[in-house]
Amino acid sequence: MAATRGIGQFYPVASPLHALDPRAKILATAALVVGLFLVDSVAGLLALAAVLALLVTASRVPPGEFLRLLRPVAFIVALTVVFQVLFSREGSTLLDWGFLEVHTGGLRMGFFLALRILLLVSAAGILTATTAPLALADGIEDLLSPLQRLRFPAHEVAMMMTIALRFIPTLDEEAQKITRAQAARGADLSEGGPLRRVRATLPVLVPLTIGAFRRADELAEAMESRGYRGGEGRTRYRELRFRASDAIALAAAAGVLAGGILL
Amino acid sequence: MRHVYAQNTPFEVEALKGVSLAVEPDEVLGIVGGTGSGKSTLVQHLNLLLEPTGGHVLVDGADARTLAKNELRRRVGLVFQFPEAALFAPTVEEDVAFAPRQLGLGEAEVRGRVRETLALLGAAHLAERSPHALSGGEKRRVAIAGVLAMGPEVLVLDEPTAGLDPATREDLLDVVRGLKVSGTTVVMVSHDLDEIAEVADRVCLLDAGEVRALGTPSEVFYASPAAAPATVRVASLLRSSHPEVGRPVRLDETLAALKVLLGA
Repeated sequence: MAATRGIGQFYPVASPLHALDPRAKILATAALVVGLFLVDSVAGLLALAAVLALLVTASRVPPGEFLRLLRPVAFIVALTVVFQVLFSREGSTLLDWGFLEVHTGGLRMGFFLALRILLLVSAAGILTATTAPLALADGIEDLLSPLQRLRFPAHEVAMMMTIALRFIPTLDEEAQKITRAQAARGADLSEGGPLRRVRATLPVLVPLTIGAFRRADELAEAMESRGYRGGEGRTRYRELRFRASDAIALAAAAGVLAGGILL
Repeated sequence: MRHVYAQNTPFEVEALKGVSLAVEPDEVLGIVGGTGSGKSTLVQHLNLLLEPTGGHVLVDGADARTLAKNELRRRVGLVFQFPEAALFAPTVEEDVAFAPRQLGLGEAEVRGRVRETLALLGAAHLAERSPHALSGGEKRRVAIAGVLAMGPEVLVLDEPTAGLDPATREDLLDVVRGLKVSGTTVVMVSHDLDEIAEVADRVCLLDAGEVRALGTPSEVFYASPAAAPATVRVASLLRSSHPEVGRPVRLDETLAALKVLLGA
C-alpha cells in the first residue's frame, strides 16, 4: 500500500488549506503557475518559493512527506541543469576543457530553470495533497461549466475524470493482488534482461486488463440501474460553497502573482 | 507474529497483533474468523508474500527468510481468494503449466504434472479451452490446479469455495480430503463453518488479529456454540437434556448420534 503513494497523492489531514473550496484552490494554483512563467528574476522565484513553503506548512502535510512527492521530477530537474550548464555559452567562461565549456550564464540559467520546475510541481502538489480527488473533479466541472454553452461536455469530462481517479486505487490494488498471486506461482518480475522482464509482466497485465473491462461493464450497469442519464438536471450531494476565506485565498494568490512579476 | 499495514502513515492498520500458530504435517487446519479478523493477512505470511513487521515465520524450525523465495513458494502453495482473477494464458493447459515452468522443470515433467493436476480437480476435459470462457466453478478448479501443479508440501487455500455452487463446493472439499490422504498438508480459510467442520482436523479462530481459540473442531466449536456450524448448534441444544449425544461435529457423526437418540 505504501508503494502507491507518490506525486499527486491526497494527504488526508485537517488544515485551513484542506477546508478551502476546490474551485478557489484550482484558480489560485493556476494563478501561481502562470506567475511562475511570468517571473523572470531569481528574486521573484525565491519570493514565490517562500510563499509555497508557507503554504506547505499551513497544509499540515509533513515536509518530509511533501519532499517525497517531488522525487519523481528530480531526474527531469537534473537533466535540465546539466543541459543548461554544458550547452549555454552566455556570460564569462568558468571552465574550458576543449569541447566542454561552463559559463556563468549557463549556471545561472540552470539554477533558474530547476527552481522554476520544482516550484511548478510543488504548486500542483499542494493542490492535490490538500484536495480530495472527488472534490477536485467537482471543482473542475464547475469551472468548465460555462463552456457548456459552446457544447463542451463539461459534466461528461468531469464524470470521466472522477471515475478514472476513483479507479486508480482500485486497479492498483487489483494489480498488487494479481502480482502476489503470480508470485505465489513462482513468477519473478525483477529478474532477467529487459525483454524477459516485459514478458514477465504479461501474467499480470492480461488479467488486469480483462478485469478492468469487466469492471467497466459492471460500473455502467450499476450507474444505469441507479438511473444515471448524464448531467442534465442532476444535483449534487456535496455542494461546493464559495466562502469569504476562499475569496481571501484567491486575492492572496493574485497578490503573490503581481508581487512575483514586479520583483 | 505481527503485521502492520502502511506503518508510520495516516493509513496505518494493525492487522495481526501477535499471532502464534503451528501448522502440523499432514493435517487440515481450518482458519475461521469474521471479516477483518486478519485471516487473509495471516495466510500471505505463510509463504512470505507479506513479511511480518514483528516476529518470524519458521519452516521446519528455520527462519523462512533464509530460504530461497522460489523454494519457499514451491513448498508452500498459496491459492488466493478468487484465484480465477489471475488466469492469463490462452489455454487452460498453458495456465496450469506456468508455475511448474517457473520452477524450471523439464517439458515432459511439466506436461505430466498439468495432466495429473487437472485430472485431480476434475478439469481434464478443459485443457484445450480458454480459461476466460469457462464458468465460475470451472475457472476456480483451473486456478487451484495452477498452484497445485507445483506439488506443494503445504497447500494454503483462502476462501476456496466462496461464490461456488454446492456441487463444485463438494468436489473441492473432496479434493482437500484426497490431498490429506496423499500427504499434503492443507490450510484452509473459510467463512463457512459447516465446510470447516467437514474437513478440518484442527480449527484456529481468529478475532481482531489474535488467536481466540485453537484446537480440534469439537473443542473450538463446543466452547462457543453461537459461532459454530449448524450440527454443533443442534447437538449442543440437545446436550442439555440428552448428554448422551456427545460432541459430534461432522454431519455423518451428528446423524449417527441422532439416530442412536431416536432409536433409544
